[in-house]
Amino acid sequence: MTEAQIDGRPASLDAAAQRAAEILSRARLPIVAGLGTDIAGARASIALAERIRGAYDHLESDKIFTDLDVMRQAGRFVTTPNEARLRADVLLFIGKDLTKIWPQLLERLAPAAVPEFDLAHATRKLVWIAPGRAAAQVDGLDVTTIDSNDPHVALASLRARVADRPVNSGKGAKRKIDEIAQILKGARFGVAVWGPELLDSLAIEMLYGLLADLNKTTRFSGLPLGADSNAGGVLQASGWMTGFPMRTSFGRGFPEHDTWRFDAARLVDSGEADAALWISAYGREVPRWKKQIPLIALVPSQVKFDHEPQVRVEVGGPGVDHDSAEFAREVGAIVARRASLPSDAPSVSSVIDRIAQHIGGEA
Amino acid sequence: MLILLKGGRIVDPVNNRDGIGDLWIEDGRIVAPPAGRQPDQIHDVTGKIVMAGAIDIHSHIAGGNVNTARLLLPELHRADAPLQKVLPLASAKWSTFETGVRYAAMGFTTVIEPALAPHQALQGHLELSDVPILDKGALTILGNDDFLLSLLREGEKPGAIADYVAATLAATNGLGLKTINAGGATSFKYNVRAFGLDDAVPFYGTTSRKILEALQQAVDDLKIPHPLHLHANNLGIPGNVSTALATIEAARGKPLHLAHLQFYCYGDEGDHGFSSGAAAVAAAVNAAPNVTVDVGQSMFRQTVTISSDVLRQFNAVGQARPKKSVIFDADAEGGGVVPYHYRETEFANAVQWACGLELFLLIDDPWRVFFTTDHPNGAPFTTYPEVFALLMSREARAEAAARLPQAALAVTTLPSIAREYTLNEIAIMTRAAPAKLLGLKDRGHLGEGGLADVAVYSPDKDIAKMFGAAHLVFKDGDLVVRDGTVTHYRWGKTLKVNPGYDKAMDRRLSGYYDHHFGVSHNMFAVPEHILPRPDPFQEVECAQ
Repeated sequence: MTEAQIDGRPASLDAAAQRAAEILSRARLPIVAGLGTDIAGARASIALAERIRGAYDHLESDKIFTDLDVMRQAGRFVTTPNEARLRADVLLFIGKDLTKIWPQLLERLAPAAVPEFDLAHATRKLVWIAPGRAAAQVDGLDVTTIDSNDPHVALASLRARVADRPVNSGKGAKRKIDEIAQILKGARFGVAVWGPELLDSLAIEMLYGLLADLNKTTRFSGLPLGADSNAGGVLQASGWMTGFPMRTSFGRGFPEHDTWRFDAARLVDSGEADAALWISAYGREVPRWKKQIPLIALVPSQVKFDHEPQVRVEVGGPGVDHDSAEFAREVGAIVARRASLPSDAPSVSSVIDRIAQHIGGEA
Repeated sequence: MLILLKGGRIVDPVNNRDGIGDLWIEDGRIVAPPAGRQPDQIHDVTGKIVMAGAIDIHSHIAGGNVNTARLLLPELHRADAPLQKVLPLASAKWSTFETGVRYAAMGFTTVIEPALAPHQALQGHLELSDVPILDKGALTILGNDDFLLSLLREGEKPGAIADYVAATLAATNGLGLKTINAGGATSFKYNVRAFGLDDAVPFYGTTSRKILEALQQAVDDLKIPHPLHLHANNLGIPGNVSTALATIEAARGKPLHLAHLQFYCYGDEGDHGFSSGAAAVAAAVNAAPNVTVDVGQSMFRQTVTISSDVLRQFNAVGQARPKKSVIFDADAEGGGVVPYHYRETEFANAVQWACGLELFLLIDDPWRVFFTTDHPNGAPFTTYPEVFALLMSREARAEAAARLPQAALAVTTLPSIAREYTLNEIAIMTRAAPAKLLGLKDRGHLGEGGLADVAVYSPDKDIAKMFGAAHLVFKDGDLVVRDGTVTHYRWGKTLKVNPGYDKAMDRRLSGYYDHHFGVSHNMFAVPEHILPRPDPFQEVECAQ
């Protein structure tokens, strides 16, 4: 039985969809936000956003744009988890949060295993910049670490020493940097791994510069860990559907992309957006904006909001309640996932299709 | 519904028709003139040209690398307020939706995405699903994957390779097999920076030639209609005309399709160390009836190069315009996205432009030379109407050539070529021959029983104008375009082959993926029900 509520009171899914359609149709600038959903949900959401002339954003956009902004300015150099696992003779981990971002990281990359595609079949080298206590999690492998409070300094010093340029640091620190620079230069196929929280765009651009320099003589690539809630998959769907990433608006009748203008929280708190469809099917995230506007929420059961949404529909989990297509961090690609606990909880796409029907036509 | 297209000039090379006549359509098919029945709909196409819907055999319209290019270059596809009400997401430039709309407006009804990476296949098909109107298909890439290279290293029998190819085509829903700088991407991972036909792939020992031969054999064994689709070694390098000639030889008389051959027609003569070798390549193609080619014509404008030839793309990073690019060392091939601006003032770009036209004009048989710009690598597909004009009008070519550095034209044979394509030859090159090459018996012609994919053009002295906006386009008998404007969406099929194979290969692949990748082989499958529209595929038969 589908759980839907209007103003906190139980309602049928159809009544909820109808109320949602009324709210979204009436708004001057509605937004579709959160977008924690599978590919089908993202497709339906973006089509709906165009129909209602709204803007759309993803709850993990900040993390996505940390990497994407660098790409759009300077480019990128990346590989896959499979290549890191099977080929990399040197792994360069950056930041203490890697296993927090991706708990399966060490299991998946298996750093202690000999990389099968490496010609030398030698034990790998693992360098970890600013590991905190995380390096202790690596079994069966010596880890070269360098503590650093500032990844910009660490990466800039490394890039300088890889290029045989002087750095202004203490003798001990310089010896360590030199040691690591030698490991990187000696790699046959190295892979740098980072997350989008501890590194900002400047640090990532520095890192790509380091990779570009290393690739003058050897092979080295990158593995950004990305963000949760299918941010990577929604980014891809947004790309093929509108040409642009999330933070795109149809307010003027055609897609316009701007990371500042169409940030959902800014649109709400500035008063520009006057109704929101919030989607978070992967977890219990709630909107981060402060201002209260009419809200329709497609969320798992028992999500707590500061103010009860006007419309709430409890949706199933992608890959849990229903089959889904989503970005899989473990292979770096969009894959199909079978429902692990199939149920009749509605999918985000099916609910949005219902809402769209009440607006007129299909999403 | 019975539809009559009355009194047009029907150009249908397959059925040897080129003359004024009627065309009847019913239930999505072309039918014989029905005796004693009145049509429900009559279109007077007197003075118009009626052809089958056009088929593009090589255009990068979907998949991870294409999408990376969209995201890399937002400044190249800013949208504007549409002049009139448009269909959903058609105002989004370079979206899959706009792609279908713009192709259909030119009279194209089938387009093949030529680079489907097996580990990114689901995204490729999701994107193709969102291309409206057109039927689509995708060529699956093998040739840099560890599994195949290991089979070759271990000297496994052709049967095992055929089983692997068939299993991969089945899992990825491919229409045919593509190989891209076979062994080159893998060699690059071992820090090799140049890779030719007879270079050995480190770790595996096998050469590009041996990979090519093995895959050619597998396609033959499996009776897949489309020959092996080859992106050869040394793309874009001065002097690579020798690679083109050696690769034609390497086909050993067996069917082989050479993709975007223009990029392999470069000599290294003259003051610039860059010249056209297109005449020699065209002569070799003329002498090798087993070989088909598409051109990959370049046109002067901003574009972006998108290729799974990661080695070539890495070497091109320095020429990026604007100065940013993406290099992706993926499982097997990966890819590179390098924006580029072909300029009329640039010697090399002028030679490239001439090379493409030389190939078109010097290859005698329009059944074996295909119309592509390798979208978007040589130019976006939206330049097709201009290319048709260049092929059909010597005058148009002379006008365009006059704007170029004359020293560049001097290292080509283009100024000496008088040939002008006829409408019949255009119909062969863009309709009849592609259908034959891909094994699509139901299209590419206007004979009874064929799909009612029909394009009607208004003749115009301005050839580009004529081909840029079709007067009418029918897809499966449904009138979808009027005077260059798409009136509504419909959703086409994705064409695929399904060659049989020994299912023991599935078990073997399952063990291999568990052991090597630590993930299930099934993870990379493309389950039909996960695609957004019902019944998305149409199977193309392999020969018996």
